[in-house]
Amino acid sequence: MQRGADVMQRRWQRACHECDLLITDALAPPGQKLVCPRCNAVLHRNPKNSIRYTAALSLTGLLLFIPAATLPLMHFSIFAFSGESTLLNGVAALFNAGYVWLSALVLFCSVLAPLVKFLLLAFICWGSAWAFLDGPVAVAVRWYRHLKEWGMLDVYMLGVLVALIKMRDLGKMEVDVGLYCFVAMMLVANLTTLSFDPHVVWARMERRRRRARAAVAGGTQ
Amino acid sequence: MHGRIEGSLMLTWALAITGALLLLPANILPVMTVIYLGSGEPSTIISGVMQLYNAGLWGIALVVFVASIAVPAMKLMGLFLLLIQVQLRLPLLPLQSMRLYRVVSGIGRWSLLDLFMISILVALVDMGVIAQVVAGPGSTAFATVVVVTMLAARSFDPRLIWDVYDQRCFDNENPGAGNE
Repeated sequence: MQRGADVMQRRWQRACHECDLLITDALAPPGQKLVCPRCNAVLHRNPKNSIRYTAALSLTGLLLFIPAATLPLMHFSIFAFSGESTLLNGVAALFNAGYVWLSALVLFCSVLAPLVKFLLLAFICWGSAWAFLDGPVAVAVRWYRHLKEWGMLDVYMLGVLVALIKMRDLGKMEVDVGLYCFVAMMLVANLTTLSFDPHVVWARMERRRRRARAAVAGGTQ
Repeated sequence: MHGRIEGSLMLTWALAITGALLLLPANILPVMTVIYLGSGEPSTIISGVMQLYNAGLWGIALVVFVASIAVPAMKLMGLFLLLIQVQLRLPLLPLQSMRLYRVVSGIGRWSLLDLFMISILVALVDMGVIAQVVAGPGSTAFATVVVVTMLAARSFDPRLIWDVYDQRCFDNENPGAGNE
């Protein structure tokens, strides 16, 4: 009976999230990914050491966020005049010029979404170790899925490059320390996205529950 | 488990049409003005690309062109193609539609490139009479286009493609079912 239930648990069915095809027994071996046979959607990736890597990378990202957001990214000077750009003063300048919606969008995509993504992933990876955090962790995973495509550090980076080249003839453009931190943060953000897969979190919760059940059963016998 | 999106088809239609309409002001109105030594004229997205091209920076001109002109236009066309196909139940290959869907939902974010650049320049080049970059009303319209089309791609439920496909397979297997 016990074994039967166990087998049932492993042979669960799921529907592909893009074409609703029912798929049985869907867990990829570590380091590989599972692709829907009908529509080629990636159902689930199982990166090696997913949780450990994501936990470490999201902490790194949070640490890098501090210098990237506070130090100037670039310096621009004409004659004796100069100006500098940080992540936040572009938003402030747009806001002051009356472009509230535009500044809110830039703030959200280049600062808030990446920051919250790092925070959520750090919370998910560290929090999934404790049973009492199961609920909040599940909520965090759902939030992460909604937020995922709105973090646009890589697009911002390209914007920085275009700005650098565009203003080259007008005055003197200089790259500052903040930009290096920003580039590092962007790379870490992309690596974090690659190393994380929600199913790994569900699998971890499941393992823990099974262990707890086994411990309870062992105690009563 | 991913729930189906309620009213997906109508919502996507509405958002895609909004995006298409907004594309007009986004391309006609100036997105920013570079004032150098008291003079400067407003530039639209297209003239910004032309300026880069004329300055010999064709590589970066190509990047900006793809990100801010080609991507929104292609994306809207792709969305309309998907919508029409589902609405009229056209017999297209579902796998090709899926590829189109994935491209459409993947590339949209790169259009924000121009807006990020504007926000950087507005803060960076602010020296009163000597040189100043001012944002224009077109940028707001453009930002809205990007957000609306991203939401449209999001609200399109790819399972609709497969519903059409399943229905067609069912009809082919039971040719008499529809006539009863």
